[in-house]
Amino acid sequence: MIYQILSKLDEKYHFEQAQAHCDIPCGIYDPSSAQIAALTVVRMMDLMADLAKGESKNNVDFHNSMDRYITVKEEHAEKAKQEIRIIWGDYFKKDKHPNVDELVHKIMQLGSKVRQTADREAGLAFVAAINEFAEIFWKTKDVKTKKAKAPYAPALEMVYPDL
Amino acid sequence: MLRIIKVTGDSMSPDFQEGDFVLLATAPFFLKRLKVGDTIVFQHKLYGTLIKRIVSFDPETAEAYIEGTRPDSLDSRRLGTIRRENIRGKVIAHFSKT
Repeated sequence: MIYQILSKLDEKYHFEQAQAHCDIPCGIYDPSSAQIAALTVVRMMDLMADLAKGESKNNVDFHNSMDRYITVKEEHAEKAKQEIRIIWGDYFKKDKHPNVDELVHKIMQLGSKVRQTADREAGLAFVAAINEFAEIFWKTKDVKTKKAKAPYAPALEMVYPDL
Repeated sequence: MLRIIKVTGDSMSPDFQEGDFVLLATAPFFLKRLKVGDTIVFQHKLYGTLIKRIVSFDPETAEAYIEGTRPDSLDSRRLGTIRRENIRGKVIAHFSKT
C-alpha cells in the first residue's frame, strides 16, 4: 500500500535515486574503453599540434580550443588508467599472468607522461601498451584477437577480439 | 531530516531490489550512531549517490567500509572507505515493491 503511494508520488515528483551498483555492468570486463581512451589521448595531441601550427595564437578562440583539448587529454588518460586498474585489480588473478604486473606499471607511468606532456611518441607507446594488455586479456578468455587500424583518426593499429 | 530515496541497481539484492523505496534519516543524531550492519546512502565522487551496507569502520579514521549484498557488488576495495561527511543518511525504513 505504502509502496503504491510512493510509486505514484515518484511518477509525479521523481524522488532522488541511490544506486546499488554492481561492477558496471556486473562481472563484465572489457579493455576496449581503455583502448578508445588511449586513442583519444593521441587524437587530442594531434589536434593540439595542429592548432599550435596556426597563425593566430593569442586570441580567445585559440586558448579556448587548446584548453578543451588539454582537458579531454587529461580526462581520457586518467580514464584509461582507471579502466586498466579495474581489470588488473578485479579480474586478473595474482601470479597467474606474471607479465601483467609489469605491463600495468608501464601503462600507469605512460598514462602520467601523456598527461604531463604533449609528446606524441609517449601517446603511441601508451596505446601500444594498452593494446598489449588487451591481447593478454582476451587470451585469458580464449578469444582470438586481430589487429586492424581504428576506423577513425588517429587510425592507429588496434587489437580487437576476433569474435 | 527524512528523505524518500528510490533504489536503482541490483547490488543490494535480494534485500533491496531495483525500484524499492527507502526512508532515509539524515539528522546528526542518526549519523553519529552508525554501526556495522547499517545501510547507508552516501555520496561518491565517481559514482554519485550510492546505497550500501557498513561492514566495518577504520579504527583510526572512523571511515566506513561498505559492501553490497551480492558478491559482484562494488565495495570498498574499489570505492574506498566512506568518510563521515560523505554519508547522506541511514536507512530506517524500507518499502519493497514485492
